Amino acid sequence: MQDFLELAVSATASGCVYGLIALAYLLMIRPTGIINFAVGEWAMVAAFGGHLLLSRYEWLYWLGMATVVAFMLLVGWVTERVAVRPLVDKGAALLAPILALLGVLVITREIISVSFPPDPLPVPSAFGFGRLELGPVGGSYQSFFIIAVAALVFAGFWFFFEKTLWGKSFEAVSLNRRAAALMGINLSRVTALSFAGGAGVAGLGGLLVSPNVSAHYLMGVPLAIQGFTALVIGGVGRVEGALLGGLLLAFAEQFTARYAPIPSGYTQGVPLLLLMIFLLFRPTGLLKARA
Amino acid sequence: MKDTILQVKALSKRFGGLLAVSQLDFEVREGEILGMIGPNGAGKSTTFNVIAGAYAADAGEVSFSGEPILGRAPHQIAMRGIMRTFQHNRPFAGMPVIDNVMVGAHTRFKAGLLSVLFGNAFQEETEKRKKAESLVDFVGLGELRDADVATLSFGQGRLLEIARALAGEPRLILLDEPAAGLTPDELARLAHIIRGIAARGIAVLLIEHDMHFLLPLAHRVVVLNFGAKIADGLPAEIRADPAVMDAYLGSHAAAH
Amino acid sequence: MNYLRWIGAFLLLAGLPFFLGSYYNDVYRKMLLWVTLALGYNFLFGIGGQVSFSHFAFYGVGAYSIVIFLIQLQLPLPLAILLGIALCVLVALAVAIPSTRLEGFYLALATLALAQLFVVVLNEGGAVTGGTGGLANYRLPEVFGMRIVGPWYTAVIVILLLITFFILLRLDRSWFGRACRAVRDNPEAAAAMGVDVARTKVIAFTLTSALAGVAGMVYAFVDNTVNPPIFGLENAFLILFMVIVGGAGRHAGAVIGAVLLFLLPFVLSPLVGHHHVLVFGLLVLGAILAAPKGLIGFYDSIRKNF
Repeated sequence: MQDFLELAVSATASGCVYGLIALAYLLMIRPTGIINFAVGEWAMVAAFGGHLLLSRYEWLYWLGMATVVAFMLLVGWVTERVAVRPLVDKGAALLAPILALLGVLVITREIISVSFPPDPLPVPSAFGFGRLELGPVGGSYQSFFIIAVAALVFAGFWFFFEKTLWGKSFEAVSLNRRAAALMGINLSRVTALSFAGGAGVAGLGGLLVSPNVSAHYLMGVPLAIQGFTALVIGGVGRVEGALLGGLLLAFAEQFTARYAPIPSGYTQGVPLLLLMIFLLFRPTGLLKARA
Repeated sequence: MKDTILQVKALSKRFGGLLAVSQLDFEVREGEILGMIGPNGAGKSTTFNVIAGAYAADAGEVSFSGEPILGRAPHQIAMRGIMRTFQHNRPFAGMPVIDNVMVGAHTRFKAGLLSVLFGNAFQEETEKRKKAESLVDFVGLGELRDADVATLSFGQGRLLEIARALAGEPRLILLDEPAAGLTPDELARLAHIIRGIAARGIAVLLIEHDMHFLLPLAHRVVVLNFGAKIADGLPAEIRADPAVMDAYLGSHAAAH
Repeated sequence: MNYLRWIGAFLLLAGLPFFLGSYYNDVYRKMLLWVTLALGYNFLFGIGGQVSFSHFAFYGVGAYSIVIFLIQLQLPLPLAILLGIALCVLVALAVAIPSTRLEGFYLALATLALAQLFVVVLNEGGAVTGGTGGLANYRLPEVFGMRIVGPWYTAVIVILLLITFFILLRLDRSWFGRACRAVRDNPEAAAAMGVDVARTKVIAFTLTSALAGVAGMVYAFVDNTVNPPIFGLENAFLILFMVIVGGAGRHAGAVIGAVLLFLLPFVLSPLVGHHHVLVFGLLVLGAILAAPKGLIGFYDSIRKNF
């Protein structure tokens, strides 16, 4: 039982990270329809940023984290300006920015690969490597930190979309771009913000997960796949869906790895299999969008 | 009296709470031009799209040459001999005009894939190309045969829609508001083309909002309002029908 | 069809390796294989409008299956080839048929997952797939008592390339090619014209995947080794990039893109070492932003203005 709870905490933390990546996708898909596969690379950039500021230059964690996230907001904004805006303005098909972002994915990865040594680099966790016991439930400080941060972020975005005017205008753009533009909503500002926000959230996810997995230039694509799987499972319609999808995926992964009688290498296949199954048979995900 | 080619009985379609088409009965006869008019929101487009297979109906029957076609997919409807145009031009942007028209002839190609790969499908290709060229000439786009569709004006795009639909050698062609947005010259040419189509023995179901274009052109007219048929007869009768005037004036008045 | 041109092309392309040393012969044959793959991918993506990341995985299915059927199971060559093709067709159908309702990039992600799953299966395949090390130390058995190696094997690759090109060209110039383009440009209008959209997509996907599989079978005997990293995501992206940079939708574009992006690392390596991928990314971004018709489009517009 202890073992089970231990695993549950670890899975929840992983699920939160996947959820954050899924949220990043969602923030960009909803107003623009653009699937930005480079979110994984954004997470990676933040991880390296964390290594640089927190490990190499030994900044205070809070300062380092805030700086990295702020930097990611900028990266997101720049990406939108360079790779997306010109295409949207030209009236190009939706596929064009998606493919352009694949180019950005590769460029980002190579820039990091050129700038840092090839081995995985350490990133410190927020509170060191201690353990926390909350009654029967126990896990590392970092796991609980991840869960807490993700809970805050998701609560914040839920509130943003449900209760604020800005959030509602986001929704309006998702539902009908032309109508929203006619209503006076500034489309390019919404798009720029959605990309900045997506990068910030993805970066946060990368920063949070990197103490466990180290910063490595190949960490982007697997995260991007896991995040997208989480999104598809949860459904694009609701913010909560991203978190739900992430949790389900993480639990499926970790419990299969632990308890299923198959060789450990196959567990990499779990997100892939789930992704294919959901895409092919239930592409709208588990949670329906609010009407 | 000509034979009926399309029979619509008790057709109904809802969208959520809105009853867009209600218990609609009408028929199209071989070689005739049947006009369907009515104010905006009368249910003309919905009816059109149900017949074309783009929407499912909630109730009723539609039969074409005696065969039921309600609920069939759009490509199956095309295969049976009903072709359509789109209200907002939908050309295939990556192909020149002539290839667009040849796509219309898709259902008339007999060569299978194996024949394409290893046999002699090119003869059919050449024949169909000649037919497509004559259709392009028929609608008056002869010089633009190899043009990029992006260079076509709106009116020319409409003509392409028609040529493409005709390429399918239909027995019934559905025209969705073909007159919208055309100049008077273009309207005259369109009317001439539509008469030419009917003269070839192809039945025409023409949805139009503009009475002035449609009434002189159609052999018979069906008038819809709020999803139901309010009149059905010869253009002269419709012109004089007070219910029809009411419907148009009513919607006109409501708009002001 | 002008058969003389095809024979001429064969003689030229297959004759060249006899004048090249073994290093250049190796580079040349790999380039031809990439061109073959790019032509097929161009049909699927450029003409059919389907973004897919599994094209290279089918290359892998073909490569591994020929080795497994021919060498491990000792089946006769024609049977091994047929079984390999059948396997590619089955897997392709299994993915394509449910995917027909998926829009654009969602299909791409299903194919991405497929490609990654393939690598996982390879890594975990134990003795059958050789695990992470793959399979090696095998040879193409004698065919009609002859051992086909060196420039003679390159001739086989040329035949593969020309047959692939022939098939794709014929399809492109037929009602099927037009139907694929129509589905790409406007699926609703295509359906109204009588095109069975789902069937067209499935056929295009299955056919090009099978062609990639056959190319894979030929590839298996080029280095006489197959291992999982070859069939990873890098190359899946690369084939997409080749077609975009060269010019999607045009056979010549696929050829140019493949030749350029294949040879570029050799030229760039003194400058940027292993990071030629950065250049690819920049080229792709540049192509989409500034030259959406690719290099071939650029070439066309120059020709028009002079």
